[in-house]
Amino acid sequence: MTTLALAGNPNCGKTTIFNALTGSRHHVGNWPGVTVERRSGTFESPAGPVEVVDLPGTYSLSARSEDERIASQFVADPSVDLIVNVLDASNLERNLYLTTQLLELKKPMVFALNMMDDVERQGATIDLEVLGALLGGPVVATVGNRGDGVDALKAAIHRVVAGADPSLDPCQWPPRVTYGEDFEGEVRKLAQELRRDEKLTEELPARWLALRLLEGAPDGLEQVRTSHARQAIDLQLQASRTFLEGHLGADCGTLIAERRYGFSRGLVKEVMTRQGGQGRTATDRIDAVLTNRILGIPIFLALMVVMYTLTFVVGRIPQDGIASGFAWLHDAAAARLPAGELTSLLVDGVIPGVGSVMVFLPVIMILMGCVSFLEDTGYMARAAFVMDRLMHLMGLHGRSFIPLIMGMGCNAPAIQATRTIEARSDRFITILVSPLISCSARLPVYILLAGAFFTPFKGAMAVVAMHVLGFGLAIVVGKVLRLTLFRNENTPFVMELPPYRLPVLRTTLLHMWEKGSVFIRKAGTVIFAGATLVWFLSNYPGITNRAWAAELHAQEEAVRAQHLPEAEEKEKLEDLAFAHHGRIMNSSLAARFGHALQPVFRPILDPDRTRTESWKDGVALTAGFVAKEIVVGTMAVVHQARAEAPEGLEGSPLQQTLRERSGLTPLTALAFMIFTLIYTPCLGTVGMILKETRSWRWTGLSVGYGLALAWVLSWGTVVIGRFLGFA
Amino acid sequence: MSHVGTRTLSDLQPGEEAVVTEVLAKGKIRHRLLEMGFIRGARVKVEKLAPLGDPMELVIKGYHLSLRREEGQCILVSEES
Repeated sequence: MTTLALAGNPNCGKTTIFNALTGSRHHVGNWPGVTVERRSGTFESPAGPVEVVDLPGTYSLSARSEDERIASQFVADPSVDLIVNVLDASNLERNLYLTTQLLELKKPMVFALNMMDDVERQGATIDLEVLGALLGGPVVATVGNRGDGVDALKAAIHRVVAGADPSLDPCQWPPRVTYGEDFEGEVRKLAQELRRDEKLTEELPARWLALRLLEGAPDGLEQVRTSHARQAIDLQLQASRTFLEGHLGADCGTLIAERRYGFSRGLVKEVMTRQGGQGRTATDRIDAVLTNRILGIPIFLALMVVMYTLTFVVGRIPQDGIASGFAWLHDAAAARLPAGELTSLLVDGVIPGVGSVMVFLPVIMILMGCVSFLEDTGYMARAAFVMDRLMHLMGLHGRSFIPLIMGMGCNAPAIQATRTIEARSDRFITILVSPLISCSARLPVYILLAGAFFTPFKGAMAVVAMHVLGFGLAIVVGKVLRLTLFRNENTPFVMELPPYRLPVLRTTLLHMWEKGSVFIRKAGTVIFAGATLVWFLSNYPGITNRAWAAELHAQEEAVRAQHLPEAEEKEKLEDLAFAHHGRIMNSSLAARFGHALQPVFRPILDPDRTRTESWKDGVALTAGFVAKEIVVGTMAVVHQARAEAPEGLEGSPLQQTLRERSGLTPLTALAFMIFTLIYTPCLGTVGMILKETRSWRWTGLSVGYGLALAWVLSWGTVVIGRFLGFA
Repeated sequence: MSHVGTRTLSDLQPGEEAVVTEVLAKGKIRHRLLEMGFIRGARVKVEKLAPLGDPMELVIKGYHLSLRREEGQCILVSEES
C-alpha cells in the first residue's frame, strides 16, 4: 500500500481535501503519546489502495510545538512514499514557506492549490504549469468545499505513484531553494560530517538534517546527540554558525527564513498575475463589524448566549427524551424481572449508569458542532482576538474563553473544547481551571441547601455567589499555575486571522459525530464504571438480607390486602420500597465509608461535634464524586425524606429534614455548597481530563487540588463565619 | 540595510505602514515570527486594535495576523527601507 502524507498550513482547507479524498473511509485516533488528532483513511487508485494520513496543520516543520514535531517526524519517515502539499492559493507566499521545507526531503510531491475560487474572485490568475515546473511536481487546482479538482488530484497522485513521469524523479532534482554560496558551502561541510554516521543519513537526506541543525530545530539536535560522530558534527556546526553569522550579519535561523521567503516571493511573482489592486475583500467588510472596537465584544457575547442556549436549552429537549426513555426502560425492567441482586444491578446500576452517559450525548454533539462551525468560519480566531486582553490577565489565551463559558453547562465537553487552544501551557491551564466553573449539575445541590437554610432572597444570592466564586477561583488558580508550574513555557500569541469561509456541512457533522463517539467511549466507560461501583457500595451487604426482603414482601402483601384505591395503593407501595432502600443504604458499605470520612468533614460540617448524622454528608459527597447529579438523590435516600416537594407545599420533605433534624446550620450548609462547587465535578470530567492531558499526573493534580482547595475554603468559611458570629 | 529603525511595531497607529528592520525577540517567539513572515524588508500594516486595545491586527505578506503588543515591541520597523 502506498502511504501519502497530507501536509499544509492551518486554515488551508486540508481537512476538506482529506474528506474529499477518502470519503467516509477514515479513522480518527491520536498520534502516539500526545493528544494531537491523527486522521487516516484510504482510497482506491488504479495502482491499488492509497493510505492518506492527515498531518496536523503547521506553518513550518521546525518542531518547536507538538504539532510541528509530529508533522516533521512523520513526513520524514521512510514509510511515507508521497507528500501532498495543500496550499491556500489566496495566501500563496506564506503557504509556500512550509513547501520550501518539504522540498528538502526530496520525496515525490503533488501540490493541491486549494481555494482557487478566492483567487479568481480577486481577479488573479496562477500559471499552474510554470508553478509545477518550478516546484518539481504536478500542481492541481482544487476547491475543497465544492469537491472540485479532487479527481484530478487523485489522477496526479496515481501518475506520481506509478512513476509515469520520469522527469519527476526526486533524487535527480537539484535543490529548489538555494541559500547562497557561503551558506551552501557550510551546508555541504556539515552534511559531510553527518555522513560519517550512516545511521543518521540512511533514512534522511544529509542536506535536510544539516539545514535543521543550522536552523536549531530541537529534533535535529536530538537526533545528533546520540550519534557517535557527535563531536565532529558539533564542532562543524559551531564553526559554520560562527562563520555565517560573522560573514552575513545575522543568525542562521534568520538567514534561512529570509532565503525561504525570498524563494517563495520570487515564485509568486513568476506565476501569479493580478489585475488591478486588491480592494476591500468580503472578510474586511465583515471584520469591520465583528471586531469593531465598540461592537466586537457585545457581538461576541451575544454569540456566546446563542451558543449556550442552543447547547444547554435546545439540547435539553433530546436530553429529556433520552432520560425518559431510560426511565421507561428502568420501570419496565423493574416490573417484569423477578426481584433479586442481578435485577437490582441491572435496574438500579446498569440502566441508570448507561442512561447517565447517554443523556450527555446531545449536549456534547451540539456544543462540538458549534465549536467546529465557529472554527471553520474563521470566527474562532476573532473571538480570541476580541477576548485575549481579558484572558491574558488570568494567564490564559483568548481561545480559553469559550471552553470556560461552556463549562457553566457541563465541564466535560468544555474540556473537550480546549482542543482549539494551540499552545500546550494555555491548554493545560484551561483544562485545570475548568472544573472550577460551576456546571448545571451542581445547581440542584445549591437549590436544595439554599432553599432549606436561607430566605428566598439570601438563597438566590448564595446561588449567584457560588457561580461568581467559581469564576474568581478560576482566575486565581490560572494565574498561580502560570506563575508556578508553567512559568517557563512562554508561548507566542501570534495568531492568523484567516479569511471568513462558509463551512462545509459534512465536515461539521463528521466532527460532531467524532466528538460524540469519543465521549461515549472515553468518558462513558468511566461514568459507567463509577455508576456500577456506587450501586455496589450503596446496596451491599443489605441487598442480600433475606429477612428484610421477606419483611418488605409481607408489608406489600398487607397493603394489597386492604384493596385501597389504586393511586393510594401505589403511593403506599412506593413508600415501602423507599424505606426498604433506605434501610439497605444506611447499613451499606457506602454508609460505613461515610462514617470513616466523618473526621475529615468534621471541621467544616460539624464544628461543634454535636451532629450524629454528619456521616450522611460524607456519603452524599462521595457519591457526588461520581456525578453531582446523584447528590440530591443520595441525600434523599440516606435521610429517608423525598426530594420532591408535595403539591401545594413549599419546600420538600428532604429540605425540612435537613433543616430540622440533620444538624446542619446555615453556615455549615454554605460550607457544604462551597465544597460542592470546588471539588472534582464528576468522573466524566476526570475521564475527559485524562483523555485530553494523557497523563495521570495532571489528572491527579486536578483531583487533588480540587479536594484540597474545597476543604480549605469551606473550612475557612466556617471559621471566619463563626468568628463573625454566624452559626 | 542599516539599523535606523528605533520605532517598534507597537508604536504604529492603526492604518500606518512600515518595513521590518529587525526582530529582537528570542527563542520560540523569534522563530515563530520569522516563519510567519517577519523578515527584514517585509512590509507590514497595522489594521486595527482589538476592542480592549490589545492584541493588534496586522497585514503582512498579504494575510491578516494578530500579535500582542508585547510581541510587537520586539519588532523594529522603519518608515521606508
